[in-house]
Amino acid sequence: MFGQANVLAAGQAAFPPSVEDFYLPSILPWGAHDSYWITKFTAMIWIAVGVLIIFFLATYRKPQLVPTKKQWFAESIYGFVRNNISVDMIGHAGVRFAPYFTTLFCFVLLTNAFAIIPLFQISPNSHIAFPAILAVISYLLFNYIGIRHHGFVKYFKHALIPPAPWYILPLLIPIEAFSTFIIRPFSLAVRLFANMFAGHMLLLVFTLGGFAMLNANAWLAPISVVSWVMTVALTLLEALVIILQAYVFTVLSASYIQGALAEEH
Amino acid sequence: MADDQTPRPSGAPDDVPPGAGQGWTALSYLIAGMLVWGFIGWLVDQWLDTGGIATGIGFVLGMAGGVILVIRRLGTPT
Repeated sequence: MFGQANVLAAGQAAFPPSVEDFYLPSILPWGAHDSYWITKFTAMIWIAVGVLIIFFLATYRKPQLVPTKKQWFAESIYGFVRNNISVDMIGHAGVRFAPYFTTLFCFVLLTNAFAIIPLFQISPNSHIAFPAILAVISYLLFNYIGIRHHGFVKYFKHALIPPAPWYILPLLIPIEAFSTFIIRPFSLAVRLFANMFAGHMLLLVFTLGGFAMLNANAWLAPISVVSWVMTVALTLLEALVIILQAYVFTVLSASYIQGALAEEH
Repeated sequence: MADDQTPRPSGAPDDVPPGAGQGWTALSYLIAGMLVWGFIGWLVDQWLDTGGIATGIGFVLGMAGGVILVIRRLGTPT
């Protein structure tokens, strides 16, 4: 970490930051540049999974009727997802999906939050692979739920054939198919990835930009201070984006499951 | 946590996705409409060598289709 600060102060960091900055050196083998099996991202994912498991186990180990502070915290997270996402989007039938949504919400929230937690400072979700897998899970889930609820033929009939006169159906069916089965998982993954990628890039630009100006010309020092103040402001904005994107990801997954469960008129 | 299963007023799922879902659904229909029929139009262009006319027609058709879908799927049922 201090090595990084020295690099910055000596002006050795490349200024404009590039996509290369998202590929961190390997942890095992240490420092290798072409091995991506165990990197900081792998470590962060395992930490996120571990923290969530331990948190919910510890807070709900001995449930009390009058909850302790920790139990209250875990219950309010679960209660929020259950009431404000599952039940709001899907209705009473949504309660059975609440555990999945809570897990999804907490995992996305925590991995997003790594973007601004000191020492982590980058979110695994700024690599498309992680949001893509989460989107695939939601995609398989809503299709599976729909097929199980309606049966294979009825589900696809319901998903593909909108209530419209027969003569415009040839126009509408390709749009429905594309929108439901291709755009949905794709947009789910890209929305999360792009937000986290852009957030990290912005912070890099303003942090490194400050150093770049400081090293270029002493007269630019006041402006580099402005740049770092912007970094602080953008970190606060990033905090908002982190929470919002975790919420949006979960709400959209819920919305797709709701669509798969919906009855025909 | 899960033992409080009192019924909520929201009731059974219905056909119209609520809130945020509705907005994203409408947006994805409009974009999908243009992309799908624009692409089909482009394919026709390549096939018949019509120099972009078919792509344009495809885009307009796709937009119309997207609008129809939004009205049919999300409009207030009468």
